[in-house]
Amino acid sequence: MRYIPFTQPYGRTYARFGGRFGGTGLEHEVDQLFGTLTGSAQFPVDVYQDKINTYVRAELPGANRDSLSVEIVDGSLSIKASRQQQSAEGEETVTVSRLVALPDDVQADKVTATYENGVLTVTLPRQEEAKPRKVNVSVN
Amino acid sequence: MSLFTTLIPSLNGGPITTATATRRPRHEISEVNGDYQVTVYLPGVAKDAIEITDEHGELTVTGAVKAFVPEGATALHRETPDAAFHLVIQHDESIDADKIGAEFKDGVLRLQLPKAESAKPRKVAVS
Repeated sequence: MRYIPFTQPYGRTYARFGGRFGGTGLEHEVDQLFGTLTGSAQFPVDVYQDKINTYVRAELPGANRDSLSVEIVDGSLSIKASRQQQSAEGEETVTVSRLVALPDDVQADKVTATYENGVLTVTLPRQEEAKPRKVNVSVN
Repeated sequence: MSLFTTLIPSLNGGPITTATATRRPRHEISEVNGDYQVTVYLPGVAKDAIEITDEHGELTVTGAVKAFVPEGATALHRETPDAAFHLVIQHDESIDADKIGAEFKDGVLRLQLPKAESAKPRKVAVS
């Protein structure tokens, strides 16, 4: 049997077993939920969630720090960055941007972001669960 | 049965592959003033996690990624693997290995590879 490595468009190769791309069967559903197609993305993004926060991690090596822009627009996170690129004509500025759909329970005014080692990490606190309320109903 | 397993080695049992997963980083190679310049994009790698070696005409860059998973967090959507970066560039040994310069900023590694003196063009005087 010939071992044919599975490669992503970026040229990554994985061991045949192991790695989280083995197929949990949910990738398609997750893609739909978040509405991001890897075909159109220019930089990879990971989304994590725990009880307190949602985390969005974007790989943006070499970005100009003052060009980094993170905004919440209509329930989506808009990430924009630009970096200098050497080309045949000299230096030019390349801008990339991406819209990442967010879960509904984001506290938009408490979002923070850090940029370290070329990775932009956005921390989005989740809304605390509404406390259950007791409602008295009188029955006639 | 034993004849069958010798003909098809992968049926011998044991791990089918023991290679650890790595990924190839995006990189650019250019020539500036006669010296080579290699730009390797290593997002998520800390400076002390980078290893650069040059041996027998092969320049190898390895960078271990610090996996980002906060306590008790689940991954909702992953587009990056946790695999370490691994890049091998073949060159024709015309590089002065002692003078390789490297700087790392914001996930971008820039290597300056000066050409060895013997590889530079030389004028020959005719007596």
